[in-house]
Amino acid sequence: MADETQSTPLDMRAIAPHLLLPLAIIGVVVFFAALQPAMISGGNVVNIMKQSSLFFFVAAAQLVVIITRGFDLSVGANVSLVSVVSSMVMTSLLPGLGTGIGVFAGVCTGLAIGAALGAINGALVAYARINPFIVTLATMSIFTGIATTVSGGFPIFNLPEGFSFALNQMKILALPIPLVIAGAVAWALHFMLTRTVHGRVLYVLGDSNEVAHVGGRRVREHLFFAYVTSGILAAIAGLLMTAQTGSGEPNLGTSLVLSSIAAAVIGGASLRGGTGTISAPIYGALLITCLSIGMNLQQINGSLQPVVIGAILIFGAALDAYRTRGR
Amino acid sequence: MTEHMIEPDAALASGHPAHKAGETLIELRDLDKSYGAFKALQGMQFELRAGEIHVLFGENGAGKSTLIQIICGVQGFDSGSYRLFDEPVSVMTPALAHDKGVSIVFQEFSLIPEMTVEENLFLGHELVQGLRLAKTEMRRKVHAVLDRLGFALDPRARVRNLRRAHQQMVEIAKALLWDCRVLILDEPTASLTDQEAAQLFDIIEQLRADGLGIVYVSHRMPEISRLADRVTVLRDGKYIDTVQMADTSEKELVQLMTGRTFDEFFPEITRSAGDTLMQFEGVTLQRGMAHDLSFSVRRGEVLGFAGLAGCGKSEVLRAAFGLEPLSSGQITCGSTRLERHSPRKALNNRICYFPSDRATEGLAMSQNLISNSTVAALDDEKFSRRGMLLKRPAERSFAKEIIEKLKIRTPGLNARADQLSGGNKQKLMIARGLSREFDIFLFDEPTVGVDIQAKLEIYDVIKTLTEAGKAVVIASSELAEVMHMSHRVIVMREGAIVGELDGDEVTEQALLSHFFAHEEPAAQAAGEVN
Repeated sequence: MADETQSTPLDMRAIAPHLLLPLAIIGVVVFFAALQPAMISGGNVVNIMKQSSLFFFVAAAQLVVIITRGFDLSVGANVSLVSVVSSMVMTSLLPGLGTGIGVFAGVCTGLAIGAALGAINGALVAYARINPFIVTLATMSIFTGIATTVSGGFPIFNLPEGFSFALNQMKILALPIPLVIAGAVAWALHFMLTRTVHGRVLYVLGDSNEVAHVGGRRVREHLFFAYVTSGILAAIAGLLMTAQTGSGEPNLGTSLVLSSIAAAVIGGASLRGGTGTISAPIYGALLITCLSIGMNLQQINGSLQPVVIGAILIFGAALDAYRTRGR
Repeated sequence: MTEHMIEPDAALASGHPAHKAGETLIELRDLDKSYGAFKALQGMQFELRAGEIHVLFGENGAGKSTLIQIICGVQGFDSGSYRLFDEPVSVMTPALAHDKGVSIVFQEFSLIPEMTVEENLFLGHELVQGLRLAKTEMRRKVHAVLDRLGFALDPRARVRNLRRAHQQMVEIAKALLWDCRVLILDEPTASLTDQEAAQLFDIIEQLRADGLGIVYVSHRMPEISRLADRVTVLRDGKYIDTVQMADTSEKELVQLMTGRTFDEFFPEITRSAGDTLMQFEGVTLQRGMAHDLSFSVRRGEVLGFAGLAGCGKSEVLRAAFGLEPLSSGQITCGSTRLERHSPRKALNNRICYFPSDRATEGLAMSQNLISNSTVAALDDEKFSRRGMLLKRPAERSFAKEIIEKLKIRTPGLNARADQLSGGNKQKLMIARGLSREFDIFLFDEPTVGVDIQAKLEIYDVIKTLTEAGKAVVIASSELAEVMHMSHRVIVMREGAIVGELDGDEVTEQALLSHFFAHEEPAAQAAGEVN
């Protein structure tokens, strides 16, 4: 009976996803470089690195909750709210306390807001047991509304230059700072997912809440912290994106919801929960950023980009269905 | 909408299909079927006559399901011959089988919960007048078939609102709505209470008297003795024998099925009953599945819980593990009273539980072997630093160790749980019991859905644990298992403990006499919970 479970070590279905994405990314870059050599110019490569680093955080925020068989539709709203509030904190503290403390306070506020928004989602999903889709759909609307209200709907200008420098222009060992932060966070997240009890439990409960419960795990607690982590990651994205635009924007994250899910899913996270590694947001962010920058260089109508993102999400979900077929 | 106009009345109007008792309806000779390298059926022989109940008997994985799927056209076969109503069959499809009068009632229900009984009965075979559904006509036929079967069912009731037993009746009515000459029942009593099952048996016997050929798949002895005319035994996909039930004893059947005698099959477990480890005092469950439970669990012996499906025995184990809230009474473990009980608390009090439902509670199916084997012990120093950081090398070597110890057949350590066969899944779950120190082991249906080899290995684990001075509790619907594995057996009926047998008192007669109520069915209310 057990003979049928024996599979050859070279199982293409197991290896294909690992090769597919790097190849697809290289393919996209080569394709656009052939059309427009500027695609691989030094400046553009730095641009790709920066953009995909920023985008990595929202995709990673999505990954953490997708592993638990959840969703976070409020990541974009989170980014907007963090952008607006941290900008307001910085501009108001700046005259009195100086750049250093002002920026520090702004960043801390941003992270704290991210954690708080994540905690709201987490409490509603884990303790009130409301469907994550509904919870984050609702909080998306709430957070966006708050961001627009507190900012009066206008961008917040006059951010300290030190902020943009520290979180966007600075280079460490010739690497742009967003990439360095993304690298560090990716490593930390990878460590959490693979080397800690919390990470292990996220996968198990994503597969089945009951199994984790019968295994004596505190299911609700772990689920709650997954959403908090997601909130903090979105907040980092919010801060870095604010540093890049140089102003607090109440609609900074609007377009990120779908693309963050698309990035995580095309990168290999399964919507059925229980799977997905750090490579998912990395590959996903790179692929979508390269596509988007390539299309910009080709001067393809910007309104067509959501079409491409949508198609990628469907393609990613189809790949997922193919991978998990027969289970 | 297709015009599907088989005449459903033929059987109903005359009351009898045109088959004489004893006439051969189905004949299979030397049938083979494999899936890749796996031989599901080898040299299968089977003959069904009109007016008989022919039981297919064998362990899970013996090939019973494959055989009935071939008969009704869900699966093809590789070689051999299949004759239906004396005509050779080369290609069979479910639709063709249906048209020819072969109906099957599957284990998993094929009804659509949101539709009414009537809509379900005609699903895919709706009667039409022009483009409209012939509702009056359909209603008439539904009443005819329900009357014939003696079912008091409202054709307009939604299937979702029916009890499992009534859903089962709808399934049978669905099979009999059309001119049916062969009826295949796949473990039809799996979700029924005794009374419901008894009612079903009456119907099956009536259908036999009407001249239908009935293929009945089951491994429950009492049903087989009551219903079977002939029994065909399968083991590991091979045809073993076809016997007349009248001149075959249960022991002989089990021997045919397992290829062993009873004495060889179940291990001899030495009993050395020690201190009481767990005590139930007047425990009643919130969900009402069991009430007034008092018993104790002792070291060094196997305590069995016996009773029919739905009697509350598995809820007792779940309560002991903190999965069923109590409404009154208390559970003590050693000297601690288990209040606000939870699986976490149970594990910390050295209680280990193996659920009967591996797929939803036992194993995280898309996680690997390592993760599944240690999930209940992640707080233990052995596998983590302060319950935070995993000690992965320790996990790995533990997984390797248990694969060897429990002989788990797997493509590798990183294989997902769902890549394993039923028996190996069960063993992987049992591996958890070895992941940390436990005193009490609760097995809910320890061998359901596993092959013979794995079954023996699981029995061996139970023996080793008991002889090492652990307390073992088994709840099993398999009478032979609970009878031969336990030193002490508690029999439950309708949520209450109705008897406790010790040592030599554990006999089949004694157990069975406790299984069925003797007094007037006054305690009906308690039985209504499922």
